[in-house]
Amino acid sequence: MEWSGHRLAIALFVSVVLVWLAVMAVVMRAAALPSDASGTMLAVFEPGTTEDEIFSRLTRAEAQPVRPTAFGFIWIVNGASPGLVARLKEQGAIGAYRELPISPTIAGCFALADAKAADMFAP
Amino acid sequence: MVPVSPATRWYFTPAIIIVAGCLVAMVNFGVRSSFGLFTGPISLEHGWPRETFSFAMALQNLLWGVATPVAGALADRYGAARVLMAGAVLYALGTVIMAITDAPFLFSIGGGIIVGIGIAMSSFGIVMAAFGRMVPPEKRSWAFGIATASGSMGQFGFAPLGGALIAAYGWYNALLFLAASTLLIIAFAVPLLVQNTSGSKAVAGEADITLRAAITQAFGHRSYVLLVSGFFVCGFQLAFITVHLPPYLAEHGISKELAGLAMGAIGLFNVAGSYASGIIGGKYQKRLPLSLIYILRSIAIVAFILMPITAASTFAFTATMGVLWLSTVPLTMGLVTVMFGTRYMATLYGFVFLSHQVGSFFGVWLGGRLYDQFGSYDPVWWMGAALGVFAAIVHLPIREKPAPQFAAA
Repeated sequence: MEWSGHRLAIALFVSVVLVWLAVMAVVMRAAALPSDASGTMLAVFEPGTTEDEIFSRLTRAEAQPVRPTAFGFIWIVNGASPGLVARLKEQGAIGAYRELPISPTIAGCFALADAKAADMFAP
Repeated sequence: MVPVSPATRWYFTPAIIIVAGCLVAMVNFGVRSSFGLFTGPISLEHGWPRETFSFAMALQNLLWGVATPVAGALADRYGAARVLMAGAVLYALGTVIMAITDAPFLFSIGGGIIVGIGIAMSSFGIVMAAFGRMVPPEKRSWAFGIATASGSMGQFGFAPLGGALIAAYGWYNALLFLAASTLLIIAFAVPLLVQNTSGSKAVAGEADITLRAAITQAFGHRSYVLLVSGFFVCGFQLAFITVHLPPYLAEHGISKELAGLAMGAIGLFNVAGSYASGIIGGKYQKRLPLSLIYILRSIAIVAFILMPITAASTFAFTATMGVLWLSTVPLTMGLVTVMFGTRYMATLYGFVFLSHQVGSFFGVWLGGRLYDQFGSYDPVWWMGAALGVFAAIVHLPIREKPAPQFAAA
């Protein structure tokens, strides 16, 4: 059988990335916090949202800003009263996760993808 | 009805065999790369000091190195697929023990010894040996490159997956998921069954010698000893950077998130570097790019520690090191094959890899020891750079041709 090495490598790596994205999407959706959750969490906003805007939205959601991550649109926040996730979403957050033992970038990227997919398939 | 010969089945075609071997390498390398994420949750759950988990992982690395020549000998004797499958079972068993035990001793047995042996038996070294026997010599270096790149890709993919699994389902279920993932190696190894070396005879053009004689003669061959010495440096540099770069960056004011991304860049660039190295090894003499890799690593290290540590310099360093990270592997494996042929390649590469793991031990240990003594990582950085120059020099005199004792009379 004739086979091209580089084509095989590209096909393999692209396939693996697609499978990985699908598995990560499922797992990250399961990792997303329910609306009634509270405590310390990562709040993900749309990229490009200014720091001042995020700060005021967090205040309106009764969330205490702990610190921004390396990406300004992902913040670590805290709040004791139940329903913090729901309030964050009302203020424009597109996802909330417990602090992950990996870079918050992953959570941010998948939260964005999740929100875009939800928009696309919304009735 | 005429029985179908195993070699005619669709999954015994070269492309499928290569893909299957690469998937083995991805899972093998990937699962172990996510173990570090469990340090906090497991230690917290059982009330253990961090040392308990760290000791098991150190034991795992040691056993991985020590068991690799043995696993290689088994693969050379019985074929790669059977060894990979047995390794997958041990890998899964050890990972399950890590999840279910609350006894430090059993944790070390499971996560340290059993997982370590399982990793060795299902590692990409075994896969590469199988590739070496199955693909034509002109594609051999490329095959070593794609297998190494796949291992890197597994590492890059499984680490965030492991973290996400912990966040979604808790550390216990995440560990069981990873244990189940290792069993995929059994399915992925099926196409490699075609490469059955049970009762194998000498390959055409190679001398008919025993395994014991092969090992003795290899260690009496100057070029092999030089290769073993050089690979020690590879292990030293990589393990030091993996373990001690994050705290070094923190000391210089780089945030945890940026440090995490910078470390991730190593994995990403490593995929490209490993694959390119396989291609280069097929076109040029392998000792020259190998020597160049070590000298470039030294230059990168010296430039990094002499310049102010910023986000840009950190990313430049980790991207450069990523390209050079496992790119030594296809070239090193290629040299073993050129010198000693394919019959005992898994065993002989196993000893080279053992040297790598000993280097890893010293890179991690000396990094901490000298930091405690001098209050700075600088002495070990300089040691790493000097060792790189040493490795570049020792690879130059390697004679890239069959060892006399291994060539057929």
